[in-house]
Amino acid sequence: MAKSKERKVRSYINPYLGGVLLGIVLLAANFVAGRGLGASGAIKSTVVTAMVTVSPSSAEKSGFLQEFRESHAGNPMKTWLVFEMMGVLVGGFLSGAFAGRLKLKVEHSPGITSRKRLLLALGGGVLFGFGSQLGRGCTSGSALSGMAVLSLGGFVTMMAIFGTAYAFAYFFRKNWI
Amino acid sequence: MGPLAINELISENTNLFLAFIIGIGFGFILEQSGFSSSRKLAGVFYGYDTVVLKVFFTAAITAMLGLLFFSLFGWIDMDLVYVNPTYLTSAIVGGMIMGAGFIIGGYCPGTSFCGASIGKIDALVFIGGLFIGVFIFGIGYDLWDGMYMAKFLGSPKVSETLGLTDGVFAFLLIIVALGMFWVAEWAEKKFPRAEY
Amino acid sequence: MKPRTLLALFVIPMGLIIAAVPQNTTKPYKLTAEELLSEVNTRTQYVTPDAVADMIVKKDPSLRLIDVRSQDEYEKYSLPGAINIPVTDLLSDQYTDILDQDVKMNIFYSNGTLTANEAWMITRQLGYNNNFVLEGGLNYWFDAIMNPQKPASTSSDEEFAKYDFRKSAGQALGGGGVVQSAQDQNTASAKPVVKSAPKKKKAAGGC
Repeated sequence: MAKSKERKVRSYINPYLGGVLLGIVLLAANFVAGRGLGASGAIKSTVVTAMVTVSPSSAEKSGFLQEFRESHAGNPMKTWLVFEMMGVLVGGFLSGAFAGRLKLKVEHSPGITSRKRLLLALGGGVLFGFGSQLGRGCTSGSALSGMAVLSLGGFVTMMAIFGTAYAFAYFFRKNWI
Repeated sequence: MGPLAINELISENTNLFLAFIIGIGFGFILEQSGFSSSRKLAGVFYGYDTVVLKVFFTAAITAMLGLLFFSLFGWIDMDLVYVNPTYLTSAIVGGMIMGAGFIIGGYCPGTSFCGASIGKIDALVFIGGLFIGVFIFGIGYDLWDGMYMAKFLGSPKVSETLGLTDGVFAFLLIIVALGMFWVAEWAEKKFPRAEY
Repeated sequence: MKPRTLLALFVIPMGLIIAAVPQNTTKPYKLTAEELLSEVNTRTQYVTPDAVADMIVKKDPSLRLIDVRSQDEYEKYSLPGAINIPVTDLLSDQYTDILDQDVKMNIFYSNGTLTANEAWMITRQLGYNNNFVLEGGLNYWFDAIMNPQKPASTSSDEEFAKYDFRKSAGQALGGGGVVQSAQDQNTASAKPVVKSAPKKKKAAGGC
């Protein structure tokens, strides 16, 4: 990888190696906590906390909060996924620092402007946030972790995510290619 | 023996501390594999970069094999491990909305945190979108409550649904995954893009 | 060697092994001997006749009485609402749904406690929860509930309260409630407390 060294940026590791390592992390999560990895759950905890803080009376009436409380006792910020996601931020930062990839930038294809990319990112985020709640977990929590424990729902969600993304890929090709 | 936290071999706080450590591993590996780049992630849908597919399925089969072997050796009680419940309607509809969000936004929640940690502003904006999306779901919960709870099937395993043992299903999944990797590497050659 | 080939060389043999070995070899016996002994020592499986009588009178929907004696004995006399699962048929598939569930409180009873305890041990070893044993069995049930004995006049108020409860419960359940000669009673616990077995919590999930 001579080219990478010139730019002082380490190249990415082999995807199969990355996959095996990620699988070991997922196995460790199941062994330690009896649950898989996740990401959107931490966002849900934060949103629940914000709703309770800003407007306790209306939040208490919400079925969303009751549904959350059924599965999470105590402080919503003191949950497994919140701590795990804080670790993700640290781990990602360490890896970026180690590989020389720390840089503030908006990544987009040459075909679109930064502004458009950010608007699309926002829209995609809203959809993903909504979908992850409806689907009881995102790509990591539902699809990946669900597949590791052979959950039927995990496989269904995985196929729905990737199937839809492939189906829509053609219409958004200008954003990426 | 395992899961440690549920069998109360470690305290609640140790469990949370280990969650943090596991998270560091998760974030580090995601970033090292290139999941902090939205264009790299989106590549899987156009064939120019299939790292997502490779990492995702390799991780799934590694963890699955690990759990099956741990269970076989009696190191982990799979009855105590959380198996995602299946609500068929919401799994499909939610998955479709997520798929659309993926192709539009270029990230998924885990990778967006990873991207944001190394300074990707689009990832940060995506996270902002995630909060809005979850908030919308929360305030309008009663509107889609019915769909959210529809077609509850319990927590079935896909192997049970197909009438296979876990081991046979795992083996078939490995074969399918390796087949997909072969197709993916073929596609990368066929639809090349410059590294960026 | 290509990384993909390397991966295949690793995961295909692993997959073949896991496909070939029998599943769940470690599952059937969930409790170690020490754990079972500890449950036996703390008598977590017992429910007092008073608690059972209270539940029958109040028509508690979570109660399910299971007569583990033979069918003949069951037909001669059984507690109200009890179903019959002879201990010899305990492992029959048709009863699995009844014994392995999280909704109802199954209470085994036999004449004494021996047969009921056998049934409890077996279900406990299978990892089933929510199965209990009627303390003292039917013999004690008759003494305590159907024919409660009036406590001695020197007894505490608590004893009298218990007697009153038993008398009324016994009458409600068709017993004599006949006052017999006052004798010292040897009851296990004063209050109808229902002990529930400690349940292992499952991991909270959800992304």
